Amino acid sequence: MIRPAWLVVAKRELSERLRSKWFIAVTLLGPLFMIGMIVVPAVLAHSSAKVHVAIVDESGIIGPRLETALRAGGWQVDARPSDTSEATLMQGIRDDVIDGFVRVPKDVLDDGTTVYKGDNATSQVVSYTLQAQLTRAVQLARGARFGMDDTQFDAILRSPRFVAEHTTGTEQTINGTAAFALGYAVMFIIYLSILLYGANVLRSVIQEKTSRVAEIMVAAAKPDALLLGKIMGVGGAGLVQMGVWLAIAGLLVANHTTVLGWFGVTASFALPSFGAGDIVVVLAFFLAGFFFYASLFAALGAMVSSEQEAQAAQTPLVMLLIIPVMCVQLIASDPRGTPAAVMTQIPLFSAMLMPMRYLLGGATLGELLLSLAILCVGIAAVAVLAARIYRVGLLAYGTRPSLRELWRWLRKS
Amino acid sequence: MNALVLDHVTKRYGDHVAVDDVSFVVPRGVVFGILGPNGAGKSTAIRMVNDIITPDSGTITLFGDVPPGRHAAPRLGFLPEERGLYPKMRVLDVLVFIGELRGLSGKVAKARAGAWLERLGLGAWQKHKVQDLSKGMQQKVQFAAMLLHEPELVILDEPWSGLDPINAEVLRDVVVELRAAGKTVMLSTHQMEQAEKICDHVCIIARGKVVLDGALADIKRAAANDHRVTIASNTQPWLSISLLDDPAWVVARHEERGELTLELAPTATPDAFLKALVDAGVSLRKFEIVTPSLHQIFVARVGPEAATASRVDPRAGARS
Repeated sequence: MIRPAWLVVAKRELSERLRSKWFIAVTLLGPLFMIGMIVVPAVLAHSSAKVHVAIVDESGIIGPRLETALRAGGWQVDARPSDTSEATLMQGIRDDVIDGFVRVPKDVLDDGTTVYKGDNATSQVVSYTLQAQLTRAVQLARGARFGMDDTQFDAILRSPRFVAEHTTGTEQTINGTAAFALGYAVMFIIYLSILLYGANVLRSVIQEKTSRVAEIMVAAAKPDALLLGKIMGVGGAGLVQMGVWLAIAGLLVANHTTVLGWFGVTASFALPSFGAGDIVVVLAFFLAGFFFYASLFAALGAMVSSEQEAQAAQTPLVMLLIIPVMCVQLIASDPRGTPAAVMTQIPLFSAMLMPMRYLLGGATLGELLLSLAILCVGIAAVAVLAARIYRVGLLAYGTRPSLRELWRWLRKS
Repeated sequence: MNALVLDHVTKRYGDHVAVDDVSFVVPRGVVFGILGPNGAGKSTAIRMVNDIITPDSGTITLFGDVPPGRHAAPRLGFLPEERGLYPKMRVLDVLVFIGELRGLSGKVAKARAGAWLERLGLGAWQKHKVQDLSKGMQQKVQFAAMLLHEPELVILDEPWSGLDPINAEVLRDVVVELRAAGKTVMLSTHQMEQAEKICDHVCIIARGKVVLDGALADIKRAAANDHRVTIASNTQPWLSISLLDDPAWVVARHEERGELTLELAPTATPDAFLKALVDAGVSLRKFEIVTPSLHQIFVARVGPEAATASRVDPRAGARS
């Protein structure tokens, strides 16, 4: 079968990448990373149950309350006499009898500082739990000063139950934090993939220039076909990788209870749904965004003669890519607002921001399709410019063209 | 039918005219040399034939009626001056890839690539990466890449630059073989000795303009001077040959490495001079009517300063 030139090039680029050890490693490590993201926090929350602390209560009123509360949370607690020396306690930590100790001062009810020293003081869970339970114990003790008994005062202090659910008027409602986390993760994966694969296109163009393969290639096929083939091939590799990731992410989210079960964690938390339709949206915007930026990266590669030069030259492009990352809050805080609506229609940013806004329910299907259509028009415009630069630049060596020269390249080809 | 026709072709880069109203015809089945100093416009002309750049004016026609580009590419082979292969690709794969780019099916490309590698003695290296090969071996792979699709016209841009002597010989054999098979070869070079050995037809370009174009034999015949002869004699010293001082025969003489080059008087002919020498009892070791070398013709035509002119404006492929 005789293939058109762009397809021959795309096939070569794709097979080169699919065979590379790096590609295989990253594709497989991605899901491991995702499993880690789900499992590690759960395991950590779980393992904090095994904390063992000593309480040295100089106040004589906080100790028992704190002890009861921490025990209720599954901690192991030793009450030590108030005259226990620091050295003895430190020895306990060294011998791994205890993880740490809390010293409650005499004036704890009147702004005295309670100190915790331990080998797990870096743990957010440990310090948060200690602070919360200490606060509660101090509040109860202060209540007792005014003659309130602990049960009564506890009833007053109990927090009202509150939950924020994200909805746009449809039947489906999801936990707001979880929805934001999902939208943010999707935005970040698209951003990272476009950046990595875009830079990959840039590097591969430079390699063709420096190894002088370009000379042989341009005689055999039109630069436009070479450019198209290269972007298609690299984009194909990116699509394969992201497809694998998203499919596994979907499976993980759907079966997170089972996955956590493998690690002995029984907790289950509500995760937003992430279905096949969402995967299609994410892949479509990734591909479109990739084509948009890859054309620019390819043109940039044709303009420079070495990787070092490329490092400097690609800064403006990377800056452009960072703008949508900085606009995340703009979308998340008001997915249906005007700023979000405008940002997600601009082709420079829409690839990263629109899937997020869509997942947050901020965009209608119509807005989604309009954004994709505008992005496609943007790709066409960028591709024409990039092809012109590519045509001239591929065989030009030496110093980087000035803006004026670049303008000449654009006009004459 | 002609393999290639350039008709009043011009290419400018800014103020610099790289190729200036160039016309020439490459007949089929010949080895055609484009000769000229660096910066003369040879590579620019070759790039236009390969449709890498387009002329500002004039037309280029291949194989009678095909313009440069998509339809001509499968019938053209090209070895650029600056040439390389994907260093991390396997030798066989890179050949198949370039064959497919030139319009071969994958199957045919693979079969021919294997055959070529065997022929060039690289059969055992098929599965190795290009970067594992020596420079000389890589050059052979480049020859194979150029010929895989069995082109009718093969274009070589400064083919001897960077070639080791063994591969220079391999390349010369390939060119001779191509000619024997009825293919056309067009090569550019500034090495006149190489061109003189192999070309049937030459076209000398300097500063973007054609200064001489024709069959090598015709050019040399035209440049031959009937009044200049080189002699060497066993009779020593030279002065004892009185004929050499006779202005009726010789008007100027120049001695070099034991040989005398003489400018004969307008009334004398080489035949008569030879007879006179023999009659005078001079014992001759050599008597030759001087034919200038291609290099001498070249220098005479373009001038010594143009022959060493450097390239101008390296931007955007305006090189040589």
